[in-house]
Amino acid sequence: MLISFFVLPLISMFSLSLLDGLPPGGTFTLDNYAMVLNDRYLSVLWRTVSLTAQTTFVVTVLGYSLAYSMVRFTKRTTLLLLLIILPFWTNYIVRMYALINIFQNGGVLSWVLNLFGVVDETMGILYTNEAVLLGLTYVWLPLATLPFYASLTNFDTDLIDASKDLGAGPIKTFFTVTLPMTFNGLMAGIVLVAIPAFGSFVTPGLLGGTEQVMVGNIIDQQFNQAFNWPFGAALGIVISVFMILLLVVSAMVGTRAVAGRGGENT
Amino acid sequence: MTGIGGRLERFAHEYGVRIGQITTVIVILALWLPILIVAFMSFAADGVLSFPPSGLTLDWYFVFLNNDSAIDSILTTLQISIVATPITVALATMLSYGIGRYDFRGKDTLQILVSLPLIVPLLVVGISLTLFFGSLQLGGGFGPIVVSHVIRTLPFAALIILPTFLSFDQSLEEASKDLGANEIQTFFQVTLPNILPGMIAGGLLAFTISFNEFVYTYFVRGTGVETMPIYLWNQIQYTATPEVNVLSVVFLLVAVMMVLTAVFVTNVERIAQT
Repeated sequence: MLISFFVLPLISMFSLSLLDGLPPGGTFTLDNYAMVLNDRYLSVLWRTVSLTAQTTFVVTVLGYSLAYSMVRFTKRTTLLLLLIILPFWTNYIVRMYALINIFQNGGVLSWVLNLFGVVDETMGILYTNEAVLLGLTYVWLPLATLPFYASLTNFDTDLIDASKDLGAGPIKTFFTVTLPMTFNGLMAGIVLVAIPAFGSFVTPGLLGGTEQVMVGNIIDQQFNQAFNWPFGAALGIVISVFMILLLVVSAMVGTRAVAGRGGENT
Repeated sequence: MTGIGGRLERFAHEYGVRIGQITTVIVILALWLPILIVAFMSFAADGVLSFPPSGLTLDWYFVFLNNDSAIDSILTTLQISIVATPITVALATMLSYGIGRYDFRGKDTLQILVSLPLIVPLLVVGISLTLFFGSLQLGGGFGPIVVSHVIRTLPFAALIILPTFLSFDQSLEEASKDLGANEIQTFFQVTLPNILPGMIAGGLLAFTISFNEFVYTYFVRGTGVETMPIYLWNQIQYTATPEVNVLSVVFLLVAVMMVLTAVFVTNVERIAQT
């Protein structure tokens, strides 16, 4: 059943991307891929890559710190885990709407900034690049924290003490012992964030407005407004190629079990 | 140890724990503050979302309850989720039974296939499904939406149910058969009671995901069917009054109740690893 309802659709997307019209009418063409290289779409592609890289970086640093503190510095892990997974199971659009409440003109953020006298106006940051970055970070942080947490729990923390007994400081211990020992979990978290971030369209659609579009928004337009499905399918293939590249790279640097872990990836 | 490296190490030694704990508190607060603000603003007396509100009121809850299209979207969502969830749990149980009990060719491939929808961006699967249903002349509507929800929820349910098969003692099944019970009796009297908590947790999470499902539904639905997340999306695009915050509170309550129940019947580590 999965084969018929999952693999076949992906194949039909690929075959449509090579046609100039909807079947049974279309003939073979590579024009859809040539169109991707148009300046307008290249700049969207570049913004997508850049936002994905920034999101993944911020999420990895914050998520790993959080997971590390949970494993090493606190006893209330069950409560903390619950506090991390509950927002993650909350509706994605609700979480975006929550950020709209904060970012928009006259919203909470501008109120706070006014309170501290930082700005005099009621301008929010909605529809900016920063809003999209914060939005992506907000939704993917819990997802990355969980594999980091899992790999840190499995890692024998006696090794940290051993390293310190042998004279290494905490920073040296972290980079020569802890980080290498939890490398697989680290890669799993990075892949799990980078792939859905690259394919996101809800976040840039709601927080980025018409300026900060990502590839996903162009696909949405092609399918629901412009009705150029073959071009939308070609962009879908672009996202798939990015995903496959990332999976191959992570497999090459030694990640196992990425496929066995998952999460929501809107 | 001297120089800047040594000083950094000493700083990390002295303040590392404190900094870690403060980071934890800040990140957890950052995760929850937006959610709390959305809930708070559902009581805002003004028709706009400027902060702070001039007063608090329950009016928006009554507006919401009298809004037929909002209530209809909830009923539509419930219909879809109530049909999709049992199908998902049944399929996930069969899959887990097969993977947990038997060795067969292609087992690894099957496991990867089940978890693939977790990794592939929802958007890609969404448009693929649209094209696929289009090529089958099925168009949008209730049936294709249910199928897409089953595909979406199956990996989550399978990941919850599979460990219950792997962890439970198979000699119990053999004992049951030795005592004269057949395959089917053994399944219902021995296997099922043991895997039931996993099935319930898997079902609760499948229901939660289906109830919140947006991307697949958005692409597959065609026109006509409006689930609650689709309704929410449309509202945010055009008007954003505190009534949308009321809708958000409904989503929050459903998710919190479902996940807490799932955690209660299994445990938090299991749910976190899904």
